[in-house]
Amino acid sequence: MGVAGVIFDGLLALALVWLAWQATRAADLFHAVVSFIVFGLLMALAWVRLEAPDIALAEAAIGAGATGALLLSALDRLASRDGRHRMLYEPATAWGFWIPAGGALLGGLNLAAWKLPAPGLGEEVLASLKLSGVDHPVTAVLLNFRALDTLLEIGVLLLAAVTIWSLGRAPSPLVPAMPSPALPALGRLLFPVFVLVAAYLLWRGSHAPGGAFPAGAVLGAGAILMLLAGARPWIRSSEHGPWRWILSLGLAMLLAAGVTGSLFGGAFFEYPTGIAGPTILVLEVAAGLSIALLLFALYLRGEPCEHGYRGAGT
Amino acid sequence: MTVYLSLSGVLFLIGLHGFFTARNLLRRLLALNVLTTAVFLLFVVMARLAEPLDPVPHAIVLTGIVVTVSTTAVALALLVRIAGRPRDEDDDAVAGPRGDAG
Amino acid sequence: MIPETTGPVVLFSLPLAAAVVVFIRPRWSVAVTLASGGILLATALWVVVAVLRRGPWRQDIGGWTAPLGIGWTVDGLSAALLLLMAAVGLAGAVFHAARPTGRTPVRDPRFFWPLWLFLWGGLNALFLAADLFNVYVALEFVSIASVGLIGLAGGSAQAAAWRYLLATLLGSTIYLLGVALLYGRYAALDLALLADGVEPDLVTAVAAALMTLGLLLKAAVFPLHFWLPAAHGRAPPAVSAVLSAVVIAAAYYLLVRLWFGPFAPLLGPEVATLLGLLGAAAVLWGGLQALLQRHLKMLIAYSTVSQLGYGLLVFPLAAAGAVQQAWTGAVMLVMAHGLAKAALFLAAGAIVLRHGIGRLEALGGDQQGVVVAWVAFAIASASLVGLPPTGGFVGKWWLAQATLATGGYFWLAVLMLGTAFTAGYLWRALQAAMRPGWETSGGLQALSPALGLSALVLALGAALLGLAAPIAARLLDAGSGVAG
Repeated sequence: MGVAGVIFDGLLALALVWLAWQATRAADLFHAVVSFIVFGLLMALAWVRLEAPDIALAEAAIGAGATGALLLSALDRLASRDGRHRMLYEPATAWGFWIPAGGALLGGLNLAAWKLPAPGLGEEVLASLKLSGVDHPVTAVLLNFRALDTLLEIGVLLLAAVTIWSLGRAPSPLVPAMPSPALPALGRLLFPVFVLVAAYLLWRGSHAPGGAFPAGAVLGAGAILMLLAGARPWIRSSEHGPWRWILSLGLAMLLAAGVTGSLFGGAFFEYPTGIAGPTILVLEVAAGLSIALLLFALYLRGEPCEHGYRGAGT
Repeated sequence: MTVYLSLSGVLFLIGLHGFFTARNLLRRLLALNVLTTAVFLLFVVMARLAEPLDPVPHAIVLTGIVVTVSTTAVALALLVRIAGRPRDEDDDAVAGPRGDAG
Repeated sequence: MIPETTGPVVLFSLPLAAAVVVFIRPRWSVAVTLASGGILLATALWVVVAVLRRGPWRQDIGGWTAPLGIGWTVDGLSAALLLLMAAVGLAGAVFHAARPTGRTPVRDPRFFWPLWLFLWGGLNALFLAADLFNVYVALEFVSIASVGLIGLAGGSAQAAAWRYLLATLLGSTIYLLGVALLYGRYAALDLALLADGVEPDLVTAVAAALMTLGLLLKAAVFPLHFWLPAAHGRAPPAVSAVLSAVVIAAAYYLLVRLWFGPFAPLLGPEVATLLGLLGAAAVLWGGLQALLQRHLKMLIAYSTVSQLGYGLLVFPLAAAGAVQQAWTGAVMLVMAHGLAKAALFLAAGAIVLRHGIGRLEALGGDQQGVVVAWVAFAIASASLVGLPPTGGFVGKWWLAQATLATGGYFWLAVLMLGTAFTAGYLWRALQAAMRPGWETSGGLQALSPALGLSALVLALGAALLGLAAPIAARLLDAGSGVAG
């Protein structure tokens, strides 16, 4: 790795520790949230250093981007509810407990982790990669070997959106006051770029880092930006509109793919021989679109209503 | 890799400490996210240690990141709804005439 | 002839598909939920019969074998819990469909149904999963669905939902850390594969400790039970029923799966005694708290803390040698508790609707419309206390035999004392029906008979479980990981 690499890793680690500390301890909540977002961005660098570009993409778009947007808008609501959030300084407590207990835990964990032989499944994945229908190992794991995890995960996203809608209607106005007058124009300008990047990532996913997850996240981030730029929230909760269909598309397609396997005498999720590649591509498009829309739906923080504001959920 | 292995441990500790000592609800949620990141880091370090590079933990962490953003979003939506409401520890006070909300 | 492997496919896919349908078309909610609930109950029965006939089986997803692929395990234990979920899921849905609209605590009735079906699907996925990370995703699925359902009651229930969410997320994260260590050690996530390869070394021990801690938090085992009573006591009745009966049992199910599977070599007398002492403390503390409660639903919620403690007695008894008896006894108790506790919560839901208030002193007087609910309450109480011939009696009898076989008289004392507490607090609840009660204005005279009947069916199920004890014993022996 070289000396420079080691120094870089060391500095990155120190910065991450400092940011994590700020995120959990900073006196000001806004400061804490921003520290957390920067922490996510720097984690993306760490993922790159660990040769995990897929995770780096997802972390930047979801871990820092979407989560950051969610945190900031929640903070905005909390702040407008009461102005107390600035005085919530966290006093350091019970050091007599935390220093010895933490040291023991850290020592135990590291001792355990050091002894890990980490055999890995790299060989097995490479051996089965030809049969999986795609060339990129991570995509093969996500949508073929462990497709059941991916199904449940898309389910978790949809379930989270339903849960958030069940808590009440979306707040009104949806968007806080614009921090910068240039943002609306910039947002509109950038949206096509987001779509292009997402499409590129999706296409790339079959043979290189990319795929449905980063693509969906990028598209979702673009949609949130459009919302911030003043676009009307075009997801409606109405039974008649197509939005509920599109939100459910990813889960429905994955379920259909799974059941089709067993209908034709194979196992659950066994793709028909020969067309695993195209099947995975279709599933990726559906999953990517669902992830984008669901991230956007999560951001609305409530059920979007048909005719503007119809009473708060609280 | 030693650096990242230690980083994972330290982040886990910071997250745990934050979760148990923070009084502000949003900060506890941030601490929980730091905690989860530490676990993801451990997965990826193990993928890197394996020979050849192991893609399975990468897929696991990708799934984990999406799951985490979902839980965080639900927690935030809930937090916004309950913030500002007085804490109710007394069962009598909340049960009210309806009786245990049931 | 349809192969048995179709059963798990239906149990996994149908609730999720139905959830999507009722999310898209809320008007069809009740019909779709009840229809798919009926199919799920029939399928779960079919799977139970299949396990009895041909023994446990394992099916691979996507045709990929472990370690690369994910599998489903269907054995006596998972089949039993799938059946429990189907019974409680259907009864709860009937109760909720029959509830009087207008003055129910559910804020937004449209969202109850997709959340209910999602919870069902998540729990079925959990009971089928044979892969540690798949279990994690299913656990998160169940957590979010539970939080959504608790939050439907609005008001203070949302604060309880928040506390539950944080506790359960912390539990899953600690669990996941253990999974990461195991993966780094063995490069396997499959339960059967791990069970073959595990060695009792430091890494495995740390992983086992972390995963157990995470699951104990999720199972609300004393002293990690702080979040349970408020969350279970304030949720809508059907939700309380499924949370106490099945969601808690799911965390316990995983503990049993792990400690009688991969971690079996680590189950020394010290670990087992520690887990058993936690269970004993839960039995006594939960029982004491239940005795002190003034609200019907809170009393039942604390009873869950107490009853789950019995389940943990399996560890010291199994470590002392009585593996088979302790194992069947404890699982039988958890099953009987599931049916009885769901019946109690549904009955309590109907009773509280009738009187308009949940305080014990107020529940007496005119019981018109809820006589069936009180009967269900009494039958479920009999099973919970352990009167013959109920399922609760059989479970306790088997556990008591295990304590006698191993000379564990301390555990026998816990069992007896816990039974005394249970009888005490349930008697308090039943006595309330006989008292004069309060004149309340909020009560309802005309309740649908389906409310009481759904509770009665579950209570009878708990009672009949005792008569079906030989079948249950055979089922639980089937590939339980100990019979092997």
